Amino acid sequence: MENFKINIKEIDKINSINKDDKNYRIKNLEFFNKKGFPTKKEEDWKFSDLREIFSKNFKKIDINYINPEENKFRLIKDFDHNYILLINGRLIRSDFKYEDKNKIKISNYKEDNFLKEKSNNPIICLNHALSNEGYNLVIEKNYKFEKVLVIYNLFSEELSDKILNNKNRIVVSENSELHTIEYTINRSKNKFFNNSYENVILSENAKFKNICIQAARSDGYFHKFLNGSIKSNASYSSFIFSSGLKFNKQDIKIDLEGKNSECDIKSALFLNNDDHQEVKTLVNHLVPNCKSFQKIKSVLDSNAKGVYQGKIFVKDIAQKTNAYQLSKALLISGNSEFDSKPELEIYADDVKCSHGSTSGNVDENSIHYLMTRGLTKKEAMQLLINGFLKEIVNDIKSETIKKFVESKLEFQIYGY
Amino acid sequence: MKNQNINTNPDYKYGFTTEIENIRAPKGLNENSIKFISRMKKEPKWMLDWRLKAFERLKKLKEPNWQKPKYPKIDYQDLYYYSAPKSASKKPKSLDEVDPKLLETYKKLGIPLQEQKKLSGVAVDAVFDSVSVATTYKEELTKKGIIFCSISEAIQKHPDLVKKYIGSVIPLTDHYFATLNSAVFTDGSFVYIPQGVRCPMELSTYFRINASETGQFERTLIIADKGSYVSYLEGCTAPMRDENQLHAANVELVALDDAEIKYSTVQNWYPGDKDGNGGIYNFVTKRGACRGRNSKISWTQVETGSAITWKYPSCILQGDNSVGEFYSIAITNNHQKADTGTKMIHLGKNTKSKIISKGISAGQADNTYRGLVDIGSKALNSRNYTQCDSLLMGNKCGAHTVPYIKNKNSSSTVEHEATTSKINEEQLYYCNQRGLNQEEAVSLIVNGFCKEVLQQLPMEFAVEAQKLVGISLEGSVG
Repeated sequence: MENFKINIKEIDKINSINKDDKNYRIKNLEFFNKKGFPTKKEEDWKFSDLREIFSKNFKKIDINYINPEENKFRLIKDFDHNYILLINGRLIRSDFKYEDKNKIKISNYKEDNFLKEKSNNPIICLNHALSNEGYNLVIEKNYKFEKVLVIYNLFSEELSDKILNNKNRIVVSENSELHTIEYTINRSKNKFFNNSYENVILSENAKFKNICIQAARSDGYFHKFLNGSIKSNASYSSFIFSSGLKFNKQDIKIDLEGKNSECDIKSALFLNNDDHQEVKTLVNHLVPNCKSFQKIKSVLDSNAKGVYQGKIFVKDIAQKTNAYQLSKALLISGNSEFDSKPELEIYADDVKCSHGSTSGNVDENSIHYLMTRGLTKKEAMQLLINGFLKEIVNDIKSETIKKFVESKLEFQIYGY
Repeated sequence: MKNQNINTNPDYKYGFTTEIENIRAPKGLNENSIKFISRMKKEPKWMLDWRLKAFERLKKLKEPNWQKPKYPKIDYQDLYYYSAPKSASKKPKSLDEVDPKLLETYKKLGIPLQEQKKLSGVAVDAVFDSVSVATTYKEELTKKGIIFCSISEAIQKHPDLVKKYIGSVIPLTDHYFATLNSAVFTDGSFVYIPQGVRCPMELSTYFRINASETGQFERTLIIADKGSYVSYLEGCTAPMRDENQLHAANVELVALDDAEIKYSTVQNWYPGDKDGNGGIYNFVTKRGACRGRNSKISWTQVETGSAITWKYPSCILQGDNSVGEFYSIAITNNHQKADTGTKMIHLGKNTKSKIISKGISAGQADNTYRGLVDIGSKALNSRNYTQCDSLLMGNKCGAHTVPYIKNKNSSSTVEHEATTSKINEEQLYYCNQRGLNQEEAVSLIVNGFCKEVLQQLPMEFAVEAQKLVGISLEGSVG
């Protein structure tokens, strides 16, 4: 992986791109080829040395796309929902049977939907250079979804030693509301790297809630960059329950561009068996009266590593900002590790910004108490871990979805 | 050379320069100027070799650039690396032989070098530019076996101790400014507290940058042998200058079994004028190693001066049950910039660390807390508590917090909290109502905000520091 490079000719294989796009892609690929997979020398990758992780786990890796055959898959039965099916990042089909179809537009990835941003992150550049799959979802004005939208993100059996690059865009127009569940199903027994880029645009008064969760443990390596722009009175909320992946980095950048906008990021993770997960956030408070709230909880078992890098930026005009960051970690095995960097960069004075970060083991006294009540040590641990993580799940409003997420999470914990 | 530009700025109480003729090393950073320093200091060969080794390493290093405050490029070839008051080339045998102008300077600074020295109970190793001129209270300390002298003297008289410990906490290869210091350091203090001795008084050094265009490269080495205790004070004031002056000091502390070192700093160097012209660059490397079991190192700092303050007094907690503490107040006003914090590196079992940092920004200043808490996989049952609070005054300043927290074992606990806010309007109103004017009210509230740290200072410093907190914020309200 030391000198991993991708041939510029790969860009020619991408269909229907104009000259501008091509130049943009070439520039990005050249940047990636120059930098390679990021190492801990780069500030953003300080705690997750991707080059080292790849060198250890991949013997080879390439980018040839595998054309997915449509697999049969089972829909979630626990609650009624609309869905989108993605296989290896490609949009296969969608079903909005509970909704007014005139208000929803869904289409395949299109270059024009994205601004040509510049990035210093080699992984994002790699995406800019090669992404050719994904979906574009637009919710028209004044429409509230009746049922939740599940995005089935399926990875096929044939995947092995591949890098997938995809780009998605979600636009929620004025006064509209959307709830999604991003549900990852991995059928591949082999290693691969999914590198996705998501653009979320919320217009005035729009609401968007997303829950991200895995169906089961898998050997996948995931990186997702989310670029969000939130207009006035709009609110963005994200729940991350992505336990059970070998490597996962969620890199979330939210620009609070309109007054009274809000951003909420919550995460509950249970990591074990060499899992390595990172949640990195950057919340930019650019105008007055915005709120942001982050709560990241992790439980780390055998050899797992959890990372939280959060940054709150408050521009000088963004008075009356209210921003909060909290990361809590339970290290339940001697060789697990938790690193955090909760960062504040503040240029306005009339603000309330604070953060907290703790890491440590389960309280001995609590375990003792439970054991005096007849629980075994393991049961006591499970109960306490469950309570620790459930605090996040309890913030989900819909009862059926809450139950669904709980069952997935419990499966993780009781596997311990 | 004679200095003519006597301070006329009434804002800076300590801004004055004395006219003393200097001996200087040839301008520029090269082998010759290093050899010149070593010759002037009458150093043994091993010391010169050590310096040259550092210089070799320096050629390969790059200046770091990750810090928040950016500064114009420093031309290292345009600096003098050695300057000593001429009269010091013949060492004074008593105070009468000391240059009267120097004594006058000390008087203005309030250093008790004359008769009042005994009353104040402070032993002073005064560094005027680069050569320590006179050291008081030596006899009393000698009786206890305590060595308190300039580092140059220690290199000559106690070479074994210096050889053993110098560079053992901050290695030659550490980073650009530390390596630069290792190559060209001119003077500083050396303290050795023998086994089982409790130092009877606060040891103190008054630093003063005097000759223009001379960066000061201090080197301080403090060793507390088994079961000993020492409290060391470092205070700085500097005269008015127009050009920026570089100060890259290295401070190394070593605490052996059951020893305790308390290191307090009040830093009030020239911060530049209201428009951000001039001022000192304070790029200091301070590091302590708790080598022994049950050892303790405590850093307390009040940083009010300097155009740019860039330092992280750190503790390496090697011995089991060792304790590291860091208490800091950083006040920035006008165009001052501070990027300061600490590193607590837990290696031994049952190690504990505590970080209390208070940052205050006013005017157009930027204040950053940057810190690392690293709990190693073998540092079982370790504990850290960190609290960093920032206070903002006005909407043109910035306050930033950049903590790095690493926990690599499950029996250790790390807690970190930080807040950023402005002075509560109600508190101000209440103080105004009771007859305090705006500035008095702010000074009172800020002093309250900093109380936890001010309490850690020894008495002599606490009073001065409280006044400084008020003075530093003058003109920032209203």
